[in-house]
Amino acid sequence: MPISLEIVTPSEVIYSEQVDHVVIPTSRGKIDVLPHHVPIIDTLAAGDIKVEKDGLTNYLAVGSGFVEVYAEKVSLLTDQAIDVKNSDESEIEEAINRAEIALKKAKNDNFDQAKIDRLEAASRFAFAQKIAKSKTR
Amino acid sequence: MASSKDIRNRIKGVKSTRQITRAMQMVATSKMKKAQDSAKSGRPYALLLSDIIVSIADEFEEITSSHYIQKPIKHRGILVIGTDKGLCGALNGNLFRKLSDIESSAKFVAVGKRATQYLSRTRKDLLADFTLPDKPTFNDVRKIVDFLLRSYDEGRIDTIEVLFTSFINTLQQEPELVRLFPLNSLDEMNEKLHQRFGSLEHEVPKDNREILIEDRDKILSEISSLYLKQEIFQLILEAQASEHSARMVAMKTATDNAGNLIDDLTLQYNRARQAAITQEILEISAAAFSD
Repeated sequence: MPISLEIVTPSEVIYSEQVDHVVIPTSRGKIDVLPHHVPIIDTLAAGDIKVEKDGLTNYLAVGSGFVEVYAEKVSLLTDQAIDVKNSDESEIEEAINRAEIALKKAKNDNFDQAKIDRLEAASRFAFAQKIAKSKTR
Repeated sequence: MASSKDIRNRIKGVKSTRQITRAMQMVATSKMKKAQDSAKSGRPYALLLSDIIVSIADEFEEITSSHYIQKPIKHRGILVIGTDKGLCGALNGNLFRKLSDIESSAKFVAVGKRATQYLSRTRKDLLADFTLPDKPTFNDVRKIVDFLLRSYDEGRIDTIEVLFTSFINTLQQEPELVRLFPLNSLDEMNEKLHQRFGSLEHEVPKDNREILIEDRDKILSEISSLYLKQEIFQLILEAQASEHSARMVAMKTATDNAGNLIDDLTLQYNRARQAAITQEILEISAAAFSD
């Protein structure tokens, strides 16, 4: 019996499909979700999500947020998510560099905390993409 | 009676006005479509977030965080979402009419220049004002939310409410006051949200839920501010969809009116021209007879 996985961001629903097995990064380690998983709510950490569907494995990158597992349904609530299949490595590397430079600059110039938090989130998300991409191969 | 030259000048003037209002109508139409789309695409997130909060809140016997408990209300905190520019029909007027019913102990935060102007003109207690770019992102809303949360935590305001123009359809927008904080009537709030937005795909009815919640204090404190941020973002998107729709309708009416005016003036011009010709013929023939 498959479980439905839904990844929702403020701008759109990125992913909504029936899958067999999901591995989700939470703030205290990864959780494996198979059918009949116990209902759970936890914080979602920026990282890679492993999705198994019809014998194929796919990886997605997500930002931080919340995860809810309830009645064969996994909902991820996050500020950003991307299917790394469609982006190539050089783009991701570039994104990481950009994020790091911006972050360093922000810290040197003493920008307000809100901006630094945002840049840190962007940088973590860029790394998550890299990890997800490297696992895809 | 105006000379035919005067009428010609007026026709020219009205035509250029019509050109301007038509251009503004086109701009508003394209902005309206985008604003409506982004307002709609944010809805699943709002629903899921609200569902998660309700699931968590149900698990707790007692929540001590001030975000969830009703305090005695001394000062209501109201965020007013107006527009930056005018020429959008009765949109702001309707919004402000609703505002004038609110008691004077309330404190206000304004978004949009029109709202700021109105609040300072009527000498309301204005805590802060913000302007937003044309296409606000989730991050643009952050400074507003941070300010509201800080005021709430410091006890300067005891509720967080939002007054905005709710988007019903292109021809219909209504001012609406929504209460966001404290989060003390969650089920009711969740129900309202579902009424407004419909339900999620593969929605699961939640009866006799037993949910394991990790790290509950952290989740509880994080999710309430995220909820506020998300809701305000969504309401701003809705307000913008309303603004552009109202402006499009107002400009379309103006264009139509200019068209009618041109028709009337053209008729008047032709009459004047014909009267002048008739007059001339009469004069010539009268002169020929008298010889």
